[in-house]
Amino acid sequence: MKQRALLALLARLFVGAVLVYAGASKASAPAEEFALVIGSYDLVPNSIALPMAGLLPWLELLVGWALILGVRTKAASAIAGAMTCVFLLAIASVIIREIPLPNCGCFGEGMHFSPAHAFIIDSLLTFLCWIAYSTDSNLFSLDSWTERGI
Amino acid sequence: MMSVMRRKFSRRLATYALVLAASVLSTVSVGRAKKPFSPAAPEFRRKGGAGAPLEIVEFSDFQCPACRYAEAPLRQIFSVYDGKIRFVFKHYPLPPRVHAWAKVSALAAECAGRQGKFWEFHDRLYDKQTEWSNEKAEIFFASYARDLKLDVPAWDACRTGPDAAAAIASDMEDGNNAWVASTPTFFINGRRFVGGKQLAELGTLFMDRELKHQ
Repeated sequence: MKQRALLALLARLFVGAVLVYAGASKASAPAEEFALVIGSYDLVPNSIALPMAGLLPWLELLVGWALILGVRTKAASAIAGAMTCVFLLAIASVIIREIPLPNCGCFGEGMHFSPAHAFIIDSLLTFLCWIAYSTDSNLFSLDSWTERGI
Repeated sequence: MMSVMRRKFSRRLATYALVLAASVLSTVSVGRAKKPFSPAAPEFRRKGGAGAPLEIVEFSDFQCPACRYAEAPLRQIFSVYDGKIRFVFKHYPLPPRVHAWAKVSALAAECAGRQGKFWEFHDRLYDKQTEWSNEKAEIFFASYARDLKLDVPAWDACRTGPDAAAAIASDMEDGNNAWVASTPTFFINGRRFVGGKQLAELGTLFMDRELKHQ
């Protein structure tokens, strides 16, 4: 049980760190650059790409920090898992439609991954989100401090 | 009991505030300080009157297919907004691992510009991009120079000299200061539009708004 809790903690921290890095590198850069990447997936209208490019990095940041700090851990794990599932579907559609994306856009200008590599990374992240979600553990989390209330 | 509830509530609020603060701080710390970029360019890389209400600055790479595709909407914009645009072309050749002939093509156009034929060379490079984007690039550049009746020895000397290279390096520094990450990137009155699609769809809406407010 203790090992499972430790595994869940490591999963939570890893996914949180990845989301924070991905979110911060995109949120600190001009949204138009990320909007171009979103547009190249050819899944959403261009008019939505720019607002999405402004919001998505902040969602990644908030969920990432919630996971790291253990704030609403279960909900944060579920949202992170849903996000990585959506990313997986988007990348799968690009691979199936053979859209030549030089860069998945996952980490802004910080790191470049091909769609195939991004698919593997997102699969791993989804699995780790599942571990964090399915384990009832408040190890090193602010949730346990909040719940104590004393 | 009430005090425990209250404490739990205030702790919960504090954790939310902590998440928000950490998100803002990490963005600020990852982001570099944005430096101003200069739209300055030699006269031969400018088009339109100084008093035009719309200024478009393009950071471009002659070997980049997306830049070639952006030429069509750009030319259409010039015809629709005739007399209302001052246009500045800035070199932003991508690294050799991405586009092996981007830098040499930028030098070729820059040196053609110093003989008053920048736009002719510019158009030729985009129109014939698929022809010269290979190891025979130098042969094609020389043939374009001859076709445009350039002083070829002077043009050759310019391409290997320090001035043209310095001008391109200066443009690239401006591009880096403006956080240009892909080409073509356009700034219309300072507002960024990346790629021909954004330029055509959102850029024109923005230009109409800018014109309305002037």
